[in-house]
Amino acid sequence: MSENAFLTVTDLRAGYGGARVLHGVSLAVGQGEICAILGPNGAGKTTLLRALSGMVRVRGDVRLDGADLSGRSPDTIARQGVAHVPEGRGTFMPLTVEENLRLGAFVRRDRRSLRGLRDLRGRRGGSAVDADLERVHTYFPVLKTRLKQVAGSLSGGEQQMLAIGRALMLRPRLLLLDEPSLGLAPMVTQELFRIVRAVNEEERTTVVVVEQNAHLALSIAQQAHVLESGRIVLSGSAEQIRADEQVAQSYLGYRV
Amino acid sequence: MSGPAEVTEKAARAAAPTRGRSLARVATARRQWIVMAVLLAVACYAPFQLVPFRVFQLTMVLVYAVALLGLNLLVGHAGQISLGHGAFFAVGAYGSAIMIDRWDTPHLATLPVAAAVAFALGLALGLPAMRLRGLYLALVTLAIAIFLVPLLKRFEAVTGGSMGLTLGKPVPPAWTGLAEDQWLYFLALAVTVVAFLLAHGLLRSRVGRALHAVRDNEAAAEVMGVRLSFYKTLAFAWSAMFAGAAGCVYTWVIGFVSPDSFALTLSITLLASIVVGGLGSFSGPLLGGLFMMFVPSISQDVNDAAPGVIFGLLIIAVMYVAPTGLAGLAGRMTRSITKILRKE
Amino acid sequence: MAGFLQEIVEGLGAGAIYASLALALVLIYQFTGIVNFAQGELAMFSAYIAWQFMAAGLPFWLALVLTLAVSFVGGMLIERVVIRPVEGAPELTVVIVTVGLFIFVNAAAGWIWSFLIKDFPNPFPGGAIEAGGLSLGYSTLGIMAVVGVVMGLLYLLFQHTKVGLGMRAVASNPSSARLVGIRVGWTLALGWGLAATVGAVSGILVAPLLFLEPNMMGGVLIYAFAAATLGGFDSPVGAVVGGLVVGVAETLAGAYVGFIGSDLKVGVPLVIILFILLLRPQGLFGRAAVERA
Repeated sequence: MSENAFLTVTDLRAGYGGARVLHGVSLAVGQGEICAILGPNGAGKTTLLRALSGMVRVRGDVRLDGADLSGRSPDTIARQGVAHVPEGRGTFMPLTVEENLRLGAFVRRDRRSLRGLRDLRGRRGGSAVDADLERVHTYFPVLKTRLKQVAGSLSGGEQQMLAIGRALMLRPRLLLLDEPSLGLAPMVTQELFRIVRAVNEEERTTVVVVEQNAHLALSIAQQAHVLESGRIVLSGSAEQIRADEQVAQSYLGYRV
Repeated sequence: MSGPAEVTEKAARAAAPTRGRSLARVATARRQWIVMAVLLAVACYAPFQLVPFRVFQLTMVLVYAVALLGLNLLVGHAGQISLGHGAFFAVGAYGSAIMIDRWDTPHLATLPVAAAVAFALGLALGLPAMRLRGLYLALVTLAIAIFLVPLLKRFEAVTGGSMGLTLGKPVPPAWTGLAEDQWLYFLALAVTVVAFLLAHGLLRSRVGRALHAVRDNEAAAEVMGVRLSFYKTLAFAWSAMFAGAAGCVYTWVIGFVSPDSFALTLSITLLASIVVGGLGSFSGPLLGGLFMMFVPSISQDVNDAAPGVIFGLLIIAVMYVAPTGLAGLAGRMTRSITKILRKE
Repeated sequence: MAGFLQEIVEGLGAGAIYASLALALVLIYQFTGIVNFAQGELAMFSAYIAWQFMAAGLPFWLALVLTLAVSFVGGMLIERVVIRPVEGAPELTVVIVTVGLFIFVNAAAGWIWSFLIKDFPNPFPGGAIEAGGLSLGYSTLGIMAVVGVVMGLLYLLFQHTKVGLGMRAVASNPSSARLVGIRVGWTLALGWGLAATVGAVSGILVAPLLFLEPNMMGGVLIYAFAAATLGGFDSPVGAVVGGLVVGVAETLAGAYVGFIGSDLKVGVPLVIILFILLLRPQGLFGRAAVERA
């Protein structure tokens, strides 16, 4: 693929304990692109994302904008600007919505944010993190009305918005989304994908999205890879993948 | 990371189904009985060869082994923790002592009563604790172990208070021709053998299988219809009964009970000994009993605190490297040795 | 009536100490799901360290600060060295390891400082403030003040600092915390360090009331367990409230229930634990039915 790709993954192998899940995955994503990872259950899609964010041990090469990420710890990778929205959203249930969002900026070193939620005198505002909080509110207005609420009290859709909002607080260069549509109503899912698309366009954030709902993922992605049994079995532009009827039947589970 | 205990269990389960192995298992079982018979023969012969003090020490090993047998049922087979088994030991010891002291009950007749009282107490205390997971049992038993000492001191009229009770020891019948220490030893040995057979039978029964299911996977066992809290409580009561029986024999052997003999240290040492001896194994209680008797008596010469330091470090070490304890280690060693021998 | 209030005051003083040890237990439970049976022994060991500093001629308050620092580092080390290898192991394994730690620390203290009792200086003057028929001992007031300050500092740490936010995140969702870049391993160690520090406060406060000896904390640990069970093992607020309630209940029972007297007071936490388990197992402030696998 393109030589100046933003994210390049070469011969990536990963697994849990003795069980190998990924058997040499290679792909490249250009800067500002949305890349969809499709495939059946158990294909290794979630493991691929976990490998990219350092949550599982890997062999192989992962580079983000030239920097080597393979074998790095999750906090180092987060510092490199990789935000991972995990399957099941990873909400910090007993914490407030605002605390959840600020945790997304945990590894950022902006001067004022070091003080945490607010400084001891109760002053607030002004820091880069506060500005980003505002930015998240423009994408997800509903969160703004719930800032002081305990995150566990949010609906599933709101929690997914919170999870994406939390990821945005990192000002990510690479956003990893794992099954954002899981368990959500179609209306909510469509809204979420619209926002992901907007983030991608406005901030030039590179996105890798794992999705069961291939149709939806392909509607916003530029390119797509089909993963099966830990290997990429098909790659191409989103249109190509969509147009390939055989693929549609065997991997994506729907007819065109 | 899966725990070390889990790993060995998984390995054991993975090894189980093959046909050849199950034949080997029958063979091991037979060998086990042969080993037991030899051990028993040695045990019967030993008191005639040793000085009375050594016989006494061996008697105490048997007493501890009976208590550890009970603890092994609970911790090793049901996967629950008791930090207060010394309390049930004390209940058995005092139960026997009071019956002898007040009503001149014959020594042997106190055994079933002491065991029954400990069983009933275990049942009563296990009920609230077992409704939840094992952690709370550890809390409750710890509290009992600490509460027991002042309680014993309080009811002075019955328990003799801090001074305790001094009792006569069982007199060997003339036809045996045994000395007192030897008679005590054989009494303890008889109780130990019966206790081992009883525990063996229990584990082979429905109850034993249910307990293993609970230990290996509570959730799955529950789904399969095992009444969790019932079996856990039962296991606790059984193990309390064994501790009570051991305490009763302890009274016969020592001829003296006082509250401070049953402080928290006893409970903790019991737990430590069964962990080091080998959780869930047949020989664990015996090895643990040896350990409980001889580690303090040998290491105390160095420092009063030496037994504690050794116990503490050993428990942690066992949990890291050999969750099945000495017995597991010994088993592993004999297996690798036989393997080497077979290759030659 | 004045006598009754007086007993309550005394109970609150004792309860403050239980609360601090209970808080230490809850801190570790929240982060790791582990009930640390060695918590009381660690507190006892800290009290010995403070005693050693004072024996070397340091004034009490300096010895206190140094001891807290040593305890903090010690707690972190214990997590890294002793607990780390069994992280994620079955509960039985972890509990047994903390019991091993209990035995080891207890014996180590006996080895280093012998099992003979030692006098531990009381940092507070002996007198009392008389107010409205009540006698508020300086010692009781001092204990409450120290425990109050510790709790205030913990509150600030958890609610108003980035580190504290990170710790709460780890407690609520460790894997998600890793994803946002929190070093979970170090946070767990930090939790143990904090717990050891808070526990040290309870040990140092208890030592002048009892005598300093290796088995000093056995009883206190039971009260702390009762406090944590009452308040809920996952609730720091619950631990504090539970500690105070247990302290007052124990004092009142000792004073007014003739049968209990001063010697059987240690049965009160047992009764409380049993009652809570029967009636409201998650405790007054705990979240219901969240069972860690």
